[in-house]
Amino acid sequence: MSDFKPKKLWQIVWEQFKEHRLALISVCIIVFLLMLSLAAPLISKVSGLHPDQQNVFHRFVPMGTRLPFSSIAKERSLDRFLKEYDLEAFINYFETQRFFPETPREDLIYELFETHQQDELLTILSAMPDYPHKLELLKLAKSQTTFHLLGTDELGRDVFIRLIYGTRVSLSVGILVAFAAAFIGLVIGSLAGFYGGILDAALMRFTDSLLSLPLLVVLIVVSAIDLAKLVEHTPLSFFLGNENESMIKMILILCLFSWMQVARLVRGSILSLKEQEFILAAKTLGARDHLIILQHIVPNVIAPLLVAVTLGVGNSILFEAALSFLGLGIQPPTPSWGNMLNNAQEMLQHAPMLAILPGLFILVTVMSFNYIGDGLQDAIDPKAIKR
Amino acid sequence: MMSFILRRLIQTLIVIGALSFFCFYLMSLMPGDPVDMMISSNPNMTSEDVSRLRELYGLDQPVYKRYLNWVSTLAQGDLGYSRTYRVPVTEILGPRLWNTFILSGLSLIFSLLVAIPLGVFAALNQGKKLDYFINFFAFAGISLPSFWLAIVLILIFAVQIPLFPASGTMSVGTDMTSFEGFFDRIKYLILPTLSLSFMSIGSFVRFTRSSMLEAMRNDYIRTARAKGLSRSRVLIVHGFRNALLPLITVVALSFSSLFSGAVITETVFAYQGVGQLVLASIQSNDFNVAMVSFMISVSMVLTMNLVADLLYGVADPRITYV
Repeated sequence: MSDFKPKKLWQIVWEQFKEHRLALISVCIIVFLLMLSLAAPLISKVSGLHPDQQNVFHRFVPMGTRLPFSSIAKERSLDRFLKEYDLEAFINYFETQRFFPETPREDLIYELFETHQQDELLTILSAMPDYPHKLELLKLAKSQTTFHLLGTDELGRDVFIRLIYGTRVSLSVGILVAFAAAFIGLVIGSLAGFYGGILDAALMRFTDSLLSLPLLVVLIVVSAIDLAKLVEHTPLSFFLGNENESMIKMILILCLFSWMQVARLVRGSILSLKEQEFILAAKTLGARDHLIILQHIVPNVIAPLLVAVTLGVGNSILFEAALSFLGLGIQPPTPSWGNMLNNAQEMLQHAPMLAILPGLFILVTVMSFNYIGDGLQDAIDPKAIKR
Repeated sequence: MMSFILRRLIQTLIVIGALSFFCFYLMSLMPGDPVDMMISSNPNMTSEDVSRLRELYGLDQPVYKRYLNWVSTLAQGDLGYSRTYRVPVTEILGPRLWNTFILSGLSLIFSLLVAIPLGVFAALNQGKKLDYFINFFAFAGISLPSFWLAIVLILIFAVQIPLFPASGTMSVGTDMTSFEGFFDRIKYLILPTLSLSFMSIGSFVRFTRSSMLEAMRNDYIRTARAKGLSRSRVLIVHGFRNALLPLITVVALSFSSLFSGAVITETVFAYQGVGQLVLASIQSNDFNVAMVSFMISVSMVLTMNLVADLLYGVADPRITYV
């Protein structure tokens, strides 16, 4: 007796995967981007930046600029402040000093913030008597700037926060599409592979035909349609007509045209699995078809499927970006990496960074997914495993 | 062989037919038919006018009837009239097709010329630094968003260092038959070709590398070496020739992505090709042009696939068509 313990499959896969250094780095990059996109609302709150907030006075601001709040942002932050603190004493003071004789009493504090630059405001406030909450008010006046790490775009929106929200949109489209497409492909591929015959021939001809089409051209035609016209009186219309409509539409359309590779892969592996003894044994024992498919075939195609899904995420992100770039995908104001590049071409002279940054994000993300797929491929391929 | 060709031909025709109906149907779902646009440009139109116009254009009929009408006029050689350009569709299409053909042909040749040597080098240096470097390059190629690459190329070679024109097909008023006209054309082609080639280079390199590795592992390579053949002869005659075979399929399958890429490249560079026409006509609701250019692009890709299938049989004598 030896005390040799067999390693679990995932252990072997993980050990093998670790060898692929670039794939490992890629996993870190993707995890980082995922965290970034999950933390997007938090980042927006902390930094006081908002992806849709326009400010036409600060277009094409260079990287790393600190700017005063726009009037709307000032108003918003004061609203929040006044809800928390009682500034009655200050307002009384303004009134007795006749700061703005024309302004109604409740707007005095707003007027003060609106009409003064930050440094003036700070001197005025610090010269005032020590009413309650003075410190907090000073802090508020100090905090009324935004820092634009990556500058602003042609509408004065902050590029950094838009990139983060774009990450959210592009990654979720990519991942959702890849999984949904894998599911469709799994169903069609296993139907074709398992039942064979006419069903197989029909499904595979259909798959092959779709595969041979110039995909982007078809996607352009499909995404140009008005989805609302198509689903007018169906329950699907529930999903449309809100702000996420273009995103849902994009996911649906990309799903429809990206399951083919998976279907072929699944069919191929099922055809070879069908000849194996354990399937025959299950059949002899009287297992029903769906049981054989779910219990015996699906676990065996999971591994190659995983690779296909990973590569699929990258591809979906690329297609989403291309369609959004052409103005047919995610519609503004929702930011996505693709539609951020929408106007970049005209702005090349002014702001080359606007054109470079979103593309770099796409490149790095898609490359990471491709490397992870490559690493997984090596890791699950039994011929490549070193024990 | 004959029956195989026939079968594939019929299959291709069925796909084209089904797709044309599908596309026709989708176009009917697009926002804004011709009458809608007339209404928006002329607020004085009465509802009787609208219904009369709809009848005139046949828009009151069900989709399948309109489709049959369209097919029958198409069969008579009438491709219709472009609403945007106000000329018959045939007049626009000819030069556009030629432009796209030049661009994608050049880019295919260029990418093969770059990718095959790179792939072979990577395979011969498997596991070494050069291999890693080429592999990284290839991964970047397949992961690059082509529109972004196009923008970056414009930024570098047209804005920062003004070597090439940023967009267009040719300078206005150049005589195409002259020598200068030819060079002018080339100048406008370089950036689009580069940007279109990059993605195919990535996938071709990866494929050449793996297929070369596969070929070099065969027994006949060992035999050839054992026979005392020179290294280069083994490489070229025994290894490379066999590695090339599967490449034919990949090149054939790349036509569809090449055309997809052409749509984007032509749009970014404002290059007057079919790809740009597909997008522009759909965006401007130019129905006839959109339908015809879509059908032509799909048929082109499908025909290329068919040709490649046949070529594969010619190149590999082991394959017989049943």
